[in-house]
Amino acid sequence: MAHVLVTGMAGGLSRLVAQRLLALGHQVVGADYRPLPAPLPDGMPFYQANYNKTRIEDIFKRHKVDSVLHLGRVGNLKESMGKRFDLNVVGSQKIMNLCLQHGVKRLVVLSTFHIYGAHPANHIPIYEDEPLRAGTNFPQLADAIQLDNMACQWVYQHRKVRTVVVRPTNVVGPLIHNTMSQFLRLRYIPHLAGFNPMTQFIYQDDLADAVVAAHEGDAAGVFNLTGDAVVPWRTALKLVKADTFPLPAPLVSGYLRLISGFPQYLMNFFLYPCVISDRAFREKFPWRPQVSLQDALWRTVEETRRAQGAA
Amino acid sequence: MNLPVRSTPRALLRSRIVDPEIASAIDRNPTAVNELGFDPWGLNPEDAKVYFSVARKIYNYFRPEIHGIEHVPAGRVLIVPNHSGQIPFDGLVIAVACLLHAKPPRLCRAMAERWFPTIPFVNEAFSRSGVVVGDPINCRNLLEAENAILVFPEGARGSGKVFQQRYQLRPFGRGFMRLALQTDTPVVPVAVVGGEESIVSVYNWKGLAKLLGTPYVPISPWLPVLGPLAYLPMPVKFHVHFGEPMRFTGPFDDEDSEIDKKVQKVMDRVQGLINEGRAKRRSLFF
Repeated sequence: MAHVLVTGMAGGLSRLVAQRLLALGHQVVGADYRPLPAPLPDGMPFYQANYNKTRIEDIFKRHKVDSVLHLGRVGNLKESMGKRFDLNVVGSQKIMNLCLQHGVKRLVVLSTFHIYGAHPANHIPIYEDEPLRAGTNFPQLADAIQLDNMACQWVYQHRKVRTVVVRPTNVVGPLIHNTMSQFLRLRYIPHLAGFNPMTQFIYQDDLADAVVAAHEGDAAGVFNLTGDAVVPWRTALKLVKADTFPLPAPLVSGYLRLISGFPQYLMNFFLYPCVISDRAFREKFPWRPQVSLQDALWRTVEETRRAQGAA
Repeated sequence: MNLPVRSTPRALLRSRIVDPEIASAIDRNPTAVNELGFDPWGLNPEDAKVYFSVARKIYNYFRPEIHGIEHVPAGRVLIVPNHSGQIPFDGLVIAVACLLHAKPPRLCRAMAERWFPTIPFVNEAFSRSGVVVGDPINCRNLLEAENAILVFPEGARGSGKVFQQRYQLRPFGRGFMRLALQTDTPVVPVAVVGGEESIVSVYNWKGLAKLLGTPYVPISPWLPVLGPLAYLPMPVKFHVHFGEPMRFTGPFDDEDSEIDKKVQKVMDRVQGLINEGRAKRRSLFF
């Protein structure tokens, strides 16, 4: 039994991870900079704290934390650049230093595959040791890249803390409210005329299982994570039963900014492929995705489609 | 995966376009596609049938004579031809020939310029038909899965060459040789005769190419008379000569000078096949 601190507890993924940890007999304490949207099960302790502030230290002191699952990376581009830097870079650095000070044994950091960037020169698949191309074109991803770099360095610098960094592909599921899932829930989705790159997804429960497998296992390192199927983007749109229509690229970007604040760096994922391989993770940890792509995508949008009267 | 046959306009159009010989050849190729019908690079055999059926019509336009296709073995192979003709019809002709005439039929995975994913519509047609970005990791993964790789080691230097340089090989890159050594893959040298005369360029307008982000901008001598029609390929007859497979041994990470010696052997063989093919050719059009 371990005392596990899970960050990002106001989000759907951390909840799923916490449920699994409780079922394995661990004690879980949650933290997030946002308030909880719904109460946590079994009176699980929760702290609303910015990761870069001293309140986060109290958790380590009070709960004798053995493991940290840092799933609380702020991907929401509605937060300002400065706030994301404070939470993702300064905050993550603080959490990692607290791990050292308090003798934490295991650390799992949730990064993202966005940092590889969708680029015409991408080969297929992309492995973990490849350059992170996104930064050159999109400075708004600087915080995500720096968080990932810091965590990767940590893997080898501080071997006392067994650190696993995971870079999942597009995460989807009914509990997930990231930019891509919200986008798939739109009733009318434009696509870029003349482009249809290969895309991957990972279902919320599969990712939660993977995070728990990384926690329970004994390997350290940096790992990509993805579901099994690779499909063209428009095939994914068919699977979410959206009404799609083609638009020239500059119009799509304007339209999306107008209706959903869709970030420019994600637009490139509708132009060029960014297909990753998670062979390394599957070799080191007993994990396989359980949910098919069809089910993953449909479950993500099902409720919204019913409300839209489309299902 | 067998989908139910529906007589939608799209399905009807598809049934009219798809050439049964092409379809049966593609069906006889083992492809590692997922349950939705795609491989990680975007190949979709059902769409490939449509694109290759259209490609066959272009192939027929050039009335190619194919020699020595029996040299294309089963299993992993690097098919290495000369490159010419501004628009890569040479690649199309070789790919259709391998599908129709090789035994067993081979669905070539062609290595294309890194800018092809940026060309609207073309990128999708290419990906669905099995074309991939010319990158060593793509190539190695596909060779290890026993694919036939079509690679033009001259790259855009070859296809963009001007008429004055016709049938003179531009220097080959070394990447294909390192991959042949690393994956123990035979190299089949190929000569395409006819490509140089189908679309003629007398000048490469590099300034405009840089502006457009393309590898080259050919200037046709017929441009003042014909305008854009000058870029339509002339119905030159293609002659394609496949040579015997060449095998190489040695460390793949050897010094460039050692790799260059092996590359030179392939270049000499391709040039030899070009020279023999040109000597045998009686006319440009027949």
